[in-house]
Amino acid sequence: MKLTTRLDGITYRFRNITDVLAKANEPKAGDRLIGIAAQSNSERVAAKVVLSELTVEDLTENPTVPYEKDEVTRMGWDSLNQPGYQSMKNMTIGELREWFLDHRTTPDVLKRSARNFTGEVAAAVAKIMSSMDLVYAASRIQYTTQCNTEIGQPGTIASRVQPNSTTDDPEMIVLSLAEGVSFGNGDACIGINPVNDDAANTKRIADSCYEFMTRNEIPTQLVVLSHITTQMEAVRRGAPLSMIFQSIAGTQAANDDFGVSKALVEEADALIKQQGLCQGPNLLYFETGQGSEVSIGRDLGVDEMTLEARTYGFCRYFRPFMVNNVTGFIGPETIFDGKEMIRGSLEDHFMGKMLGLPMGMAPCFTNHTSISMDDQQIATMLLAMAGATYYIGIPVADDVMLAYQDTSYHDNATLREMLGRTAAPEFHRWMVSRELCDERGVLTEKAGDGSIFLK
Amino acid sequence: MTEWILSVGIDVGTSTTQVVFSRLQVENIASSFSVPRIMIVDKRIVFRSEIHTTPLISPDEIDAEALKQIVIDEYEKAGFQPADVGTGAAIITGETARAENAEQVLSALSELAGDFVVATAGPHLESVLAARGAGIDEYSAHARGVIANLDIGGGTTNIAAYEHGQLLGTSCLDIGGRLVRISPDRRITYVSPQIVKLAASAGIPLAVGDQANAERLRTLTRVMARHLAMSIGLVERHEPHLALYTNEGKPLRSSITPTSVSFSGGVADLIDGPHHGDPFRFGDIGPLLGASIDEDSAFKLIQRHQATETIGATVVGAGVHTTEISGSTIDFGSGLLPIRNVPILRIPPEIEENPELLTLEISERLATMDPDHPEQTVAIALDGHSLRSFADIQRLAQSIIDGAKVVLEGPNPLVVVLESDRAKVLGQSLAVQRGRRDDLICIDSVQTANGDFIDIGTPVGAGRAVPVVVKTLVFND
Amino acid sequence: MNEQKLEEIVRRVLADLGAGSGADGATLAREIAPSADANLEISGRDLVRPASLPADVESGEVPDIRAVDYRELYNVPNAANPEEFKRLKRGTAARLGLGRSGPRYSTWALLRFWADNAAAQDAVFSDVNPDLLEKLGLFSVQTKCVSKDQYLERPDLGTQFDDAMIAKIKERCIPNPQVQILVADGLSSTAVEANVADLLPSLEQGLKLHGLTVGTPFYVKYGRVRAMEPIAEALNPDVICILLGERPGLVTPESLSAYIAYKAKVGMSEALRTCVSNIHKDGTNAIEAGAHIATLMSEMIQQQASGINLKV
Repeated sequence: MKLTTRLDGITYRFRNITDVLAKANEPKAGDRLIGIAAQSNSERVAAKVVLSELTVEDLTENPTVPYEKDEVTRMGWDSLNQPGYQSMKNMTIGELREWFLDHRTTPDVLKRSARNFTGEVAAAVAKIMSSMDLVYAASRIQYTTQCNTEIGQPGTIASRVQPNSTTDDPEMIVLSLAEGVSFGNGDACIGINPVNDDAANTKRIADSCYEFMTRNEIPTQLVVLSHITTQMEAVRRGAPLSMIFQSIAGTQAANDDFGVSKALVEEADALIKQQGLCQGPNLLYFETGQGSEVSIGRDLGVDEMTLEARTYGFCRYFRPFMVNNVTGFIGPETIFDGKEMIRGSLEDHFMGKMLGLPMGMAPCFTNHTSISMDDQQIATMLLAMAGATYYIGIPVADDVMLAYQDTSYHDNATLREMLGRTAAPEFHRWMVSRELCDERGVLTEKAGDGSIFLK
Repeated sequence: MTEWILSVGIDVGTSTTQVVFSRLQVENIASSFSVPRIMIVDKRIVFRSEIHTTPLISPDEIDAEALKQIVIDEYEKAGFQPADVGTGAAIITGETARAENAEQVLSALSELAGDFVVATAGPHLESVLAARGAGIDEYSAHARGVIANLDIGGGTTNIAAYEHGQLLGTSCLDIGGRLVRISPDRRITYVSPQIVKLAASAGIPLAVGDQANAERLRTLTRVMARHLAMSIGLVERHEPHLALYTNEGKPLRSSITPTSVSFSGGVADLIDGPHHGDPFRFGDIGPLLGASIDEDSAFKLIQRHQATETIGATVVGAGVHTTEISGSTIDFGSGLLPIRNVPILRIPPEIEENPELLTLEISERLATMDPDHPEQTVAIALDGHSLRSFADIQRLAQSIIDGAKVVLEGPNPLVVVLESDRAKVLGQSLAVQRGRRDDLICIDSVQTANGDFIDIGTPVGAGRAVPVVVKTLVFND
Repeated sequence: MNEQKLEEIVRRVLADLGAGSGADGATLAREIAPSADANLEISGRDLVRPASLPADVESGEVPDIRAVDYRELYNVPNAANPEEFKRLKRGTAARLGLGRSGPRYSTWALLRFWADNAAAQDAVFSDVNPDLLEKLGLFSVQTKCVSKDQYLERPDLGTQFDDAMIAKIKERCIPNPQVQILVADGLSSTAVEANVADLLPSLEQGLKLHGLTVGTPFYVKYGRVRAMEPIAEALNPDVICILLGERPGLVTPESLSAYIAYKAKVGMSEALRTCVSNIHKDGTNAIEAGAHIATLMSEMIQQQASGINLKV
């Protein structure tokens, strides 16, 4: 492996693959925090040059965290398709970038290649892509998944309606939900983050939303985003959940902190298959985001983008219904500003799609960064061009419970209209039947009035 | 952490006596990152007695011994001891409340009902309890419009109107199913004085000893049903109507216009047809009254909502829905609880903000409340929302110390009840300023009004909160 | 509002106007906004038009959009059931029913979002007013952070002090108290300014009532929760409490948290800290929170535990 290069006569030497990956990363606060970022722009480019000459095999055989020590590494590896991998392992990362952009590499071929790569390979190729590369490459890859309904079809943009309440008050949750669906949000799922992580509360919220969903015959799926074990307990107590959610990260150490493991997710998957109000086959919902490992000190010296790509290896293992990237949620210690947030979101979306995942995007921000609504909307529009499967929907971009800003009920309707897309087919037909949008998906006069759903 | 309070409800009504036991599940619903919020999260009836006929010696006298035996037997059947009971209410309702020995019966009951159970009655409270027991307050919270619950018992009809979970008003009429009684040989054995007048004014001949004539009595129950329609403003009220209100009470405000109605009480079960069979099968006019309500065109003008409890509404209201939980940051001297029947001394909000006036108000009100025993325990009730700073609290504490000297220097504890969440800091301020905290109970998040009484139970939620029963005897219209 | 107060405000307004370049509409708005008193508004409006202002400047002011309680709004034309929706939405701070223009926000909703976002970001990026600290008798120390940006990007530095700072702390503070109280900016200086002046005396009163000795309280600039750890090691209190501004949401920038630990040590587990969050005028009010925290600390000393080990 060649880990050294010169730029303009100056030598740049990198210790190992982990070091090359870190230095090749575009600026990210999380990498600076643990002192692994490039010291100069030139050093960053030098690392990209070295990276472009490494092979798929180099990156696959030298994972950033050893196979025997880390479950996430093993899951990335074990979900590889060996013939596919073998056929491409001699390609350099530079060649792989061009392969992804080449017109001869058809969308079908791209989709079939999803299990040829590990997270490290995905991170490597994304690090030598510009923003437009990331958008273009991702725009050619689309996956459909099905829980109760199907999402991800060409010509559609889905959304998770997220009607959180600061007090877990079912009435307030349903009120916000009513407005959300009146804007056409909620085809990916109805998903509530509870304040209190207990099974009774999870069930209480689920019961109210399920009543709303069935009374209004809304074709979608329902999830309450308490801890995975809490949801499992709630399902055992009869909570009407359609799928199981869990936040995951790119190292086993971080997942230990999150209280999640492959075995636990397998158990949850089996449980929801038997007890959930769903048909499947995709019954899991994962949340990820750059910086989660470093924010809890479980990064093992690996850059946050590579760790994010590794997380997708974990996700891919389970064939989830949806994966939700929330780069920007943690704060300036991991994503410092709007530029880092936009770039990170584009990277994550591409890497997720590359590894076969139905990527939903939450370009978001908290108030302790300089990220603004404009940055967020720019990211959202770029991701829409890139073909993200779905977005979060909250009232006027303000989540009162999680105290952060994300895409709004309005934003999701706007994206569809600007790009000539509709909601997922079943949900779109429901909207048309309720006179919330026309056949093309454009909102009607009635849309945005949640009071039409009041009892 | 979950705990349960056992609550008992005992309702001694005009015609029936019932007992229910329920468990109130108390839980801290706040996340571990915030100040606790201890609430009742579930209410479950665990035992229901059969429906007993209220034992009477005469129409004006309850058979206290027989009644006591009924309650003793029901405790036994339920498998509880009086000492197990943490809260609840035993009440005498309807015509029975006017029995000559009602007070004596209450004291007999309170021995049985457990350490904490209250014993009281009154048309306003009855109306509220029946509506709560019928599930109407809760239903209205999530429904549109105004709903009136008519609890039609043997002797009275208790009305409570709700909108969006808020009580709009109550009233009580002397209309019930047992105001005319009929013997098995179909003779009229009793006509209440009110019905005598009502029948006379409607030109219906009616006297004790007469043969019971179904058609004639149906004419009477139609008049009674029409008065019920008037009582909730479905038809215009005319003069004799106002005479029907219990204890010379008032009708609902005319601005209260229900859009739906629900029925509870024993007669509720007789409203839905089919109306055949012997109309006097219960020895009274209940079935005829039920049919007359069903047939009255006025009641067809609005929606009918099915109550969750009918004949048991009042007892369920008393046993299941009387207790609330105080705020979870409060202050009280150990060993002072439980405490019962503390009269509320409500301070008008405009006085609250002026320390001098407040001191004066408290001392004057204490002096006049019970001139013979000014040192008795009272609950000084304040809103408290205007207390924004630490200095405000200090001033309030000083006003209470100065104004309530007569209680604080006496042998009895003082209770302070705030609506807003400031009881703990007020309690601590009082304790620091006075140098003692063993004779004060300072609680919050409880709404009260002048004329109310309050019962405060032993602490729940690891000692952080207390169960409270506010007994509202008068509705401040 | 009495006449004297009114005059005083009038004088201040005039003084601001007289300051020439320093006077602008914003200054005026701040001076006049706090009162809803009709008389004052009229007087204020009259006063905004002294000779020094150009004649074409319209008198009066655009109302404070942050003073509007948007829970009371339902700006949806031809709604099916606006009254009911409006009634229900009083129970949530979610931005529901604020209308749309095409698929986009109404102008008001957008401006209000920006205003709330600005207040939140200003809460983070501003410093606590030194006059307040002086009034509260708090001396100041600073973590290893040298700027707000560094503080935000380097959470680790916000928990550490250099040796000189530790020496200053040791020099100024009573050692080995039962209780040590710290105040820190955290992620909202506004939260500190809104709550600490009432919380602190309430807390100290409660501690006194519980018979606990209280060390010398002080202020930590650029401080995070874990800043309590090296301070605990330096001063050796039984229980240490840090009051600091929470990361602001759009609903309020004023929310304060208290983190409390028994025998805190550098690197201690997060689970061993007890947290009381959401302290602000619409959450748990500062005065009641102080009383509650005092009782919690007394329980910690009795049980010699905090966090998950504390039985409550």
